[in-house]
Amino acid sequence: MARRRSVLRRTGGGRRIPAGVLLAIVLVIGALALIVARVGLTPGTDVAMQAGDDSAAAAGRVATGPARAGQNFFQRIGGMWNASERVQELERENRELQQWRQLAERLAERNARYEELLRMPADAFGESADIENSIAAQLVLDSGGPFTRTLVANAGADHGVRIGFIAVNENGLIGRVVSVGRRSSRVLMLDDYNSRIPVLGEASRVRAVLAGQATRPPELVTHPYQMQAPRMDFIVGAQALREGERVITSGDGGLFPRGIPVGIARRQNDGSWRVALAAAQQPIDFVRLIPFIAVPAPEADAVQGEGPPLTASSSVSSITRQTMAPPPTAPSTAPAAAAPPRPRPAQQQQQPRPQQQPAATTPPAQETPPPATPAAEPQE
Amino acid sequence: MNAFSLRAPSRRALRAWGLALAVASVILPALPLGPLFAQPPLPLAVLWAAYGWAAEDESGWRAPLALTLLGLLHDQLAGGPYGLFVLVYLSAYLIGRIAAVAMSAPNLVSLWGGFIVTALLSILIVVGVERLIVPIAVVPYAEAALITAILFPLVRPLYMTSTNSPSGGRR
Repeated sequence: MARRRSVLRRTGGGRRIPAGVLLAIVLVIGALALIVARVGLTPGTDVAMQAGDDSAAAAGRVATGPARAGQNFFQRIGGMWNASERVQELERENRELQQWRQLAERLAERNARYEELLRMPADAFGESADIENSIAAQLVLDSGGPFTRTLVANAGADHGVRIGFIAVNENGLIGRVVSVGRRSSRVLMLDDYNSRIPVLGEASRVRAVLAGQATRPPELVTHPYQMQAPRMDFIVGAQALREGERVITSGDGGLFPRGIPVGIARRQNDGSWRVALAAAQQPIDFVRLIPFIAVPAPEADAVQGEGPPLTASSSVSSITRQTMAPPPTAPSTAPAAAAPPRPRPAQQQQQPRPQQQPAATTPPAQETPPPATPAAEPQE
Repeated sequence: MNAFSLRAPSRRALRAWGLALAVASVILPALPLGPLFAQPPLPLAVLWAAYGWAAEDESGWRAPLALTLLGLLHDQLAGGPYGLFVLVYLSAYLIGRIAAVAMSAPNLVSLWGGFIVTALLSILIVVGVERLIVPIAVVPYAEAALITAILFPLVRPLYMTSTNSPSGGRR
């Protein structure tokens, strides 16, 4: 045994691993275990991340306080030099905006009349978003790291913030709340590598998926419903997309409300489309966290007496009921079931119904024209 | 020398400045201070620390522990998952140890080359994690690592002595 030890010592085989290296190896194995378990990201383990966010948000607010104060001070000092010029410029802009406002009001009135004639549901900013109950918060941490693009706002569960709230600023959409602590919440930004949101060209109505690229402006993948090769160059409908067109959220998928401005579509030299984010026009300071109630599926909000929903399993019975006469023994005790289905506006589906419906809201059947294939009508 | 010559700062002071720079490179990108403090272009100073401490502190346990704490802090501020930056920094430490053993007569060029290899291998580790475990953005990390590698000669005195080999002064 002693001879074997001496041989090892002579040949260098008995060299001991330094304690630091041994500790590093053990810690590397521990880090790998943490990554594999996705600690901090999975629902059961995100408590530590949320607690850390709370502490980091408090520290970040203190740390950035002097910087914010100094920035405001220097901005005020800088603004004093050309104050009179800026006032003149603002007055000129104000005169121009007054003209635009009058034009916009006329067009909005005409548009409302057209929508009324066409019986279109409302297509307002952030449709189905509970804007009145939005929560204002200040950005206190911006991960800005090489891996992810998230930010931490200083409003959390104590302020009523929940996972899934929409984060916007005065310019447009920023992202979505993905994690909530007691006094802080983490927002996944649109340019994060993991961000994929359905969007819509406001004029062309071309649907697309906005895919974050972490550093560059998000790429616009304009064939969201193709299962294969989502980055093809040959895109059905992409020809209609226009350079400089405003891009809004489409509401598909139910994670984002429809109609929130996202940015401007920009065509790249290689033919791909990217979006200049509206929220990135200025550094993000304050954010508004908006509750969002997704539009329920027709099956989840079925109208009583209107037959089963049109699913794969129920379509046969539905067709059979329309083509075949009812059995002679079945009494027709539900006259409402025989009435033609009326399309309901989306806002009526979201808002609670008043206790007493006025008579004017339920017009007689002869005054309501039968809808021409309401299920096939596009909602845009 | 002459009257204008300044006394060189002690090794201890340089190490303290190196640690402060490493901590700042973790915290500053998390504060909303604008694109100048984002990462990239801000370098990953903890990679410098991992490489330099691996060369200087052969058997100490403080370097791996400090790197682990800095990695966990970076993971927290970046939004997770926990362990990602810990893995990157400790891997750089271990690669630095291997380079320290391998280099017999190092100079500035070989030290720089060793750090570039360390940075490239850390990018490979990130690619491996991205492919096998969690979806993360590799390109921004690669940009930050390359900036870190380019700036290495400027900050080397903070993390390793000028004449000392990366294999440690004791050997």
